[in-house]
Amino acid sequence: MLAIEVQKLRKVFQTKQKAAGLKGSLRALARPDIKSVEAVRDISFEMQNGELLGLIGPNGAGKSTTIKMLTGILHPTDGNALVLGKVPWKQRRDLAYKIGSVFGQRPQLWYHLPAIDTFLLFGKIYELDDAVTKNRIGFLSEAFEITHLLETPVRKLSLGQRMRCEVAASLLHKPELVLLDEPSIGLDVVAKQRIRDTIKQMNAHEGVGVVLTSHDAGDIEALCQRVIIINHGKIIYQDKISNLKRHYLTSKQVDVRFAEELTAPPTLPGTDVIKVGRYGMKLKFDTQNIPVAQVIATLAEAGNLVDVTISDPSLEEVIRTIYEEADKL
Amino acid sequence: MRREVIFLLSLWKANLLAAMEYRAAFISQVLGMMLNNAVYFVFWMIFFDRFKEVRGWGLTDMLLLFGVVAAGFGIGVALFGNVLGLAEVIARGGLDYYLSLPRPVLLHTLASRSVASGFGDFVYGVLSFVAAGQFSADTVTRFILGTLLAATVFISFLILVNSLAFWIGNANMIAQQATNAIITFSLYPITLFDGTAKLLLLTLIPAAFVGAIPAELVRGFSWQSFGQLFAAAIFFFSLAVFVFHRGLRRYESGSAIQVQL
Amino acid sequence: MKRTAVFPSLIRDIRKYWAIFRTQLVNSLAYPLDLLSRSFSMVLFMWIFAQLWRTTYSASGQESIAGLSLNDTLWYLMMAETIILSKPRISTQVAEAVKDGSIAYNLNKPYNFILYHFSVSFGDSLLRLVPNALIGSLVVWRLAGPPPATRGWPLVFVAVLAALAIDFCINAMIGMLAFITEEIRAFEWIYAKFILILGGVLIPLDFFPEWLKTAALSLPFAYTTYGPARLFIDPDWDRFVTLISRQGAWLLVCGGILALIYRKGTSQLAINGG
Repeated sequence: MLAIEVQKLRKVFQTKQKAAGLKGSLRALARPDIKSVEAVRDISFEMQNGELLGLIGPNGAGKSTTIKMLTGILHPTDGNALVLGKVPWKQRRDLAYKIGSVFGQRPQLWYHLPAIDTFLLFGKIYELDDAVTKNRIGFLSEAFEITHLLETPVRKLSLGQRMRCEVAASLLHKPELVLLDEPSIGLDVVAKQRIRDTIKQMNAHEGVGVVLTSHDAGDIEALCQRVIIINHGKIIYQDKISNLKRHYLTSKQVDVRFAEELTAPPTLPGTDVIKVGRYGMKLKFDTQNIPVAQVIATLAEAGNLVDVTISDPSLEEVIRTIYEEADKL
Repeated sequence: MRREVIFLLSLWKANLLAAMEYRAAFISQVLGMMLNNAVYFVFWMIFFDRFKEVRGWGLTDMLLLFGVVAAGFGIGVALFGNVLGLAEVIARGGLDYYLSLPRPVLLHTLASRSVASGFGDFVYGVLSFVAAGQFSADTVTRFILGTLLAATVFISFLILVNSLAFWIGNANMIAQQATNAIITFSLYPITLFDGTAKLLLLTLIPAAFVGAIPAELVRGFSWQSFGQLFAAAIFFFSLAVFVFHRGLRRYESGSAIQVQL
Repeated sequence: MKRTAVFPSLIRDIRKYWAIFRTQLVNSLAYPLDLLSRSFSMVLFMWIFAQLWRTTYSASGQESIAGLSLNDTLWYLMMAETIILSKPRISTQVAEAVKDGSIAYNLNKPYNFILYHFSVSFGDSLLRLVPNALIGSLVVWRLAGPPPATRGWPLVFVAVLAALAIDFCINAMIGMLAFITEEIRAFEWIYAKFILILGGVLIPLDFFPEWLKTAALSLPFAYTTYGPARLFIDPDWDRFVTLISRQGAWLLVCGGILALIYRKGTSQLAINGG
């Protein structure tokens, strides 16, 4: 069963334009200039139940607009979508019982109250039995390690603690699908890792599907199996992450260390030198131009190899390249 | 229906808990508002000191009027406080949050906030009613009825005015002016006005249904005042719900406001 | 040496605040309906007041009450209302800046927080004064006839500017209360209500019992509305001089207290880190 089915989704906004300065303001009063902005051009994709899907794209790419349409908050100009078998903008309330959401920029926990009060309120919002609510709270607070934080007013929690509570809140009613929009924004590395781990756990044990939107490629890399890249309102790439890295870019980076000092660094045609140090160097090369074996062999001849690391480009670099290529088209 | 009531009660409970986190601020707002209302009443004390009574209305009638208006306004914003800033919530895209949850958007939005000073208004209203000296089981019942109906008209009017935000984006000023207007005018006895002015206070800015007519009802029951008040409450409430949901449709289509992408 | 150093920097500051003031003017024009809504309030209020006072005067059977005719009273109320409707919500803006700590960030910016808000609020007020006064005049002219005096408007204008300045200081002080308490709205309301009574907005001070009138005239509220409005219906040079000197005194007092509170509040922030 498909959790999400989207076909040719399109959204055009009409916004009033105002020129700068006093004249512009007066002109806008008399004759408003209305501009159409196509935020989402033509988006089609599918998501399986229980999948971990990443949605990545720069600001203004159309991610938030797409998410809003999938939750039924916004009606599209064109196209179809089914989320958990329902048309979001037609069956918004029914769908709301089955999905959860966390918007990094818009908290749902009541700021002045302890998190548990919001959880209890959510129990009433989603019409859960009191006993069910209590059980869920117990279960989730253990999983997210927030049991000791439940009675503290949210305003006193650190951002990382708050986000763990936010994500827990979004799972209170056992949704089948959760939409996370920038959940780790502003968090430090450790806090990010904790959130990622718990989300992965939830997905594994409860089978809840996750749609994660982010600018942070690290989030996507850590959590998602598949990724959709959006730019200028269109999907410019969608595939499994592993395929993305393997097929799209064939460049590799080699980091090599020698036992002796490098007096005459070896030159290899078809490779770019990134950095040269006293005992080692970093090279970049395209496996289509020169195979890995040849690079290693040439380096081994140049001296006593102490350490060799061959790495793939980071997802960040891959995505940047994809943006650039798409823009050129 | 029952589910909504349970939901409302838990929402009000959360609001109360949140207010209790700042006990001092809560109390200062309650007292502050009572003082504020007393100051407003001073105008009438000065006025009736010089003019004794005008067209059958005197100071006692003003006490009843203030009673019903303050109590109605107070209970309204104490329970549905977000109605005061609704235009802002709409303009900022704040409805997204309520839309993503499975509860009626209008109800959820309005009850998600409690204006602490509303409790002050309510207490003041009750005290003002008591000070009028017409305490009896009968008048108390009429006072409760009048207050509830006045609150309904008042909240409905505010919903209507704030809903303009769906169409014009920044309706904060209009909403605020209209709010002040209806409060101000509801505190004037209707007999002071003729013709067009009276019509205005019964329609565009239904202050008569928030103040004068409920006060009449408390002074002495008549089927006319009750009927008028009840009909007005039903009418404005239905209109408010209708207009809000129309606006919500616009909001959901994305053409409501200047959208931030 | 010092004088020449101060002068160009003063010019620079004035240019800065003028630019801010102009931007605010333009900003206000971006919301034309907003402007119109305030003018609409004017129409409504004047209409209601006309009804109230017409009824009151006819019920009393007198042409003149406490020296004011119906025409005087209505023009007075129009002027007072114009000033009231032209005031922006300075206290809220200042309170927001205090609550979210941005008042501290403003310390780093090359303009003074207070003067910035002053320029902004003046821009707002002046922009609203014109349509409010025009529309109010139209309504009252239609309902009660021409104004009692048409000369002396420049004097009234000066008095109005002074009134707005005093009002700004008091509003900013209320905003600063945010240093102590989370919700300043009750105080905003209280101040607004004090103005309504003791500022003579709802009822001219001339109708007050004598003891209350004396009390009101010894408080600053009367000089933010009653003063200029009363001058408007009877623009007498002596009245003007008395008014402007009292306004000046109150401006110094309120401005001084405001500066003190600002300095104390922001230094506390700097120590406690917001």
